Amino acid sequence: MGAFSLTRAYHFSAGHRLARVDLSDADNARLFGQCSRQHGHNYAVEITVDGVLDAATGMAVDLGAVDAAVQRVLLDRVDHYDLSATVPALDGVISTGENLARVFWAWLEPALPTGSLRRVAVVETDNNAFEYFGDPGERGR
Amino acid sequence: MIVGMVYATRKFTFSSAHRYWREEWTPEENRRVFGHLTVVHGHNYTLEVTVRGRVDPLTGMVMDLTELKRVVGDTVLARFDHADLNGDALFAAGQIPTTENLVRAIWDLLAPKLGTERLHRLRLWEDPTFHVEYFG
Repeated sequence: MGAFSLTRAYHFSAGHRLARVDLSDADNARLFGQCSRQHGHNYAVEITVDGVLDAATGMAVDLGAVDAAVQRVLLDRVDHYDLSATVPALDGVISTGENLARVFWAWLEPALPTGSLRRVAVVETDNNAFEYFGDPGERGR
Repeated sequence: MIVGMVYATRKFTFSSAHRYWREEWTPEENRRVFGHLTVVHGHNYTLEVTVRGRVDPLTGMVMDLTELKRVVGDTVLARFDHADLNGDALFAAGQIPTTENLVRAIWDLLAPKLGTERLHRLRLWEDPTFHVEYFG
């Protein structure tokens, strides 16, 4: 009766390339194609948070608190950085949409009310989106 | 949704012609049921293909999107882009090429190539105002 899910979209712009440090440029080009060249995206991140309606405020989720958490643990770390080079928290992570969705989940989950994070979607371009719903067996990284 | 899996969606576009018409009906019956859809017309379709899976630790990917592009390109776009759906063998047996029937036909083409454990959802937009979803 009082359970809601709220989805909010955020945006950041970042550089990246897909490459494994243990492979040569030629092997990376074979494995990742044009994604192995340095490039960048205007990313959108959709965060879905569950909440129960608070009769006093008429709100199920404190959007201001979600905004502040996303700004602090996500946007401040990645906006206008190079995901492949200048984000220490992404060292060793191939910055595919899949991996970003999982890493962003790991960053956001502890910063939001316990158990409230429902979905993280990384929209890399108008044509590509990656959704993650968490994994109780996976903690941090 | 299965926890621990990542769901990756890619959009494709193709443009096709069609009309809704049952041969065994009179023109009047066709027009009464299908209205303006009895006249040959066309759409810019958008197809969203969602695949799911565990992330390959070697590549950081659920599926190589270049491979997905190749499969959808060879299987769906090469067949339907700038084509008349009514003339396709899939619709020769009297199936009306509605968005519903088309999304099921595309599922049946893609599922053997992608695998049903990997293919999660198809969303087919006929125009910006109408889409259907199919999960197999």
